[in-house]
Amino acid sequence: MSDNHEVAERAAEAETKAPRSARAPVEYPVGSASEFPPGSHKIVQVGTQEVGVFNVNGDLHALINVCPHQYGPVCAGRVGGEMRCNASTDWKFHWSRDGEILICPWHGHEFDLVTGRCLALKEMRLRKCKVNVVDGEVRVSLGGG
Amino acid sequence: MSVQTNRAATDGMVVVDCDVHLNDLPQYIAPYCEMPWRKSLELLGSIPQRYLDIPGYCPALVATPPLPGGHASRSVDTPQAMRNELSALGVDYGILLPDYLLGFALLSNIEYATALSRAYNRWMVAEWLREGNGLYGAVMACPQNPEETVREIERYAGTPGVVAVYLPTAGVDPLWGHRRYDRILAAAEAAELPVMLHSVTVTSPAFPTQINQFENHFGKQIIGHTFAMMANLASLMHTGVPARYPKLQIVFTEAGVGWVPGMMWRMDRYHQEFRRQVPFLEERPSDYMKRQMWFATQPVEEPVNPKYLVETMEHYGGADRTLFASDWPHHDFDHPRCLARLPLTQEQRRKIMGENALSLFKLPIPERLTKKEKQPA
Repeated sequence: MSDNHEVAERAAEAETKAPRSARAPVEYPVGSASEFPPGSHKIVQVGTQEVGVFNVNGDLHALINVCPHQYGPVCAGRVGGEMRCNASTDWKFHWSRDGEILICPWHGHEFDLVTGRCLALKEMRLRKCKVNVVDGEVRVSLGGG
Repeated sequence: MSVQTNRAATDGMVVVDCDVHLNDLPQYIAPYCEMPWRKSLELLGSIPQRYLDIPGYCPALVATPPLPGGHASRSVDTPQAMRNELSALGVDYGILLPDYLLGFALLSNIEYATALSRAYNRWMVAEWLREGNGLYGAVMACPQNPEETVREIERYAGTPGVVAVYLPTAGVDPLWGHRRYDRILAAAEAAELPVMLHSVTVTSPAFPTQINQFENHFGKQIIGHTFAMMANLASLMHTGVPARYPKLQIVFTEAGVGWVPGMMWRMDRYHQEFRRQVPFLEERPSDYMKRQMWFATQPVEEPVNPKYLVETMEHYGGADRTLFASDWPHHDFDHPRCLARLPLTQEQRRKIMGENALSLFKLPIPERLTKKEKQPA
């Protein structure tokens, strides 16, 4: 098991253990849906946490603003695509999934906004929060997964 | 030194030595060389030479004085001598690599280098590989001429006793991950021949062999082999060689093993940061290393507590990635006994001493052991 995996686990533990097991999920309103148009992202305060809310092709994704690598403000990073190069691209560099990959501003770790997974290190992932829109209001849930 | 005494530590296990050196003097190879370069080799054979330092053949640019009081300088000139000496060390099989031609990559004349590599291969196969003598050969690649190297690999693939491709590493420019060598690596993969990187301490303008500032061989030796392996490992990884040639097996020799974990962790870390530059690496660099790369022990590090070395090895896959090598007959050779001291399980020891190499190079189980096994039954 790699050191990074352990770091990721520690971070996940710190972020999730206490609130998740102790309480039922709590929903926090973070703004109206019109403030989160497709392709946008912003960081909102949710209780004691900073959460990045991303609109990827019309779907909202909320991620805790902590990079599991060295706890950097991952959601403040750029959003880009996935560079691929393998037999299926005939070993040519190929840019895909533009707008679906978050790049941590500290060390450049890339994360899939949809799954939270780190592209380089599959065991490492961002913690996602439940996000939904009720009556035009965006609500992020903390705790309870 | 009786064979029996020396066998004690490795009794009952196969011992494959992944790095032994045959003496490849120019005059030995000359008869196998095409004209006009045969004339050059004959001339080189007629002039005095220094150990691993012949201008125009092994241009090591040795600018340091000989060690006061002298230094061991051994050569093995015949396969029979090699067989006897390996047996005295308790070695069943030896993988033959060149001696002077460890500096082969420094030769700048492409036609000459091409002819010389072809002559070396002819000579080595004709003179050194004999069924039953336990000596196996590596076809020498000519980095100066990738196209011809492909033909050589195809020519010798399937030749009895040819088990690998030797990649001259000292001063090779560009390093082995450069895409100009793709076809060589593809040919080796297709022929199911592992490639073996082997350096030697030389001074040249090519990275990382610009070691002219070191005053003595101690400094040069410390840097020479390890830097060559580190640079070539990074080179192979940064162009995705193990991903693009997933069946290629790559052996790193004569740099010990202590350098491996640090490079591995460093590559893993920067892979996370720069993945977009190396998207062909769809797994961690260490994942490829643990599947496709092998590390030969010699010159084995000798920490005060031998368990530190075993722990170091464990970081990169331990007994599953490590091959015994003696480097016989060179001054810094390792006796098989040196690994007997390490706190390894018997299974780990068997793998390192020979079982890994048996499967990597597709070698038969030595008769010495098959006979022994039959006796009790």
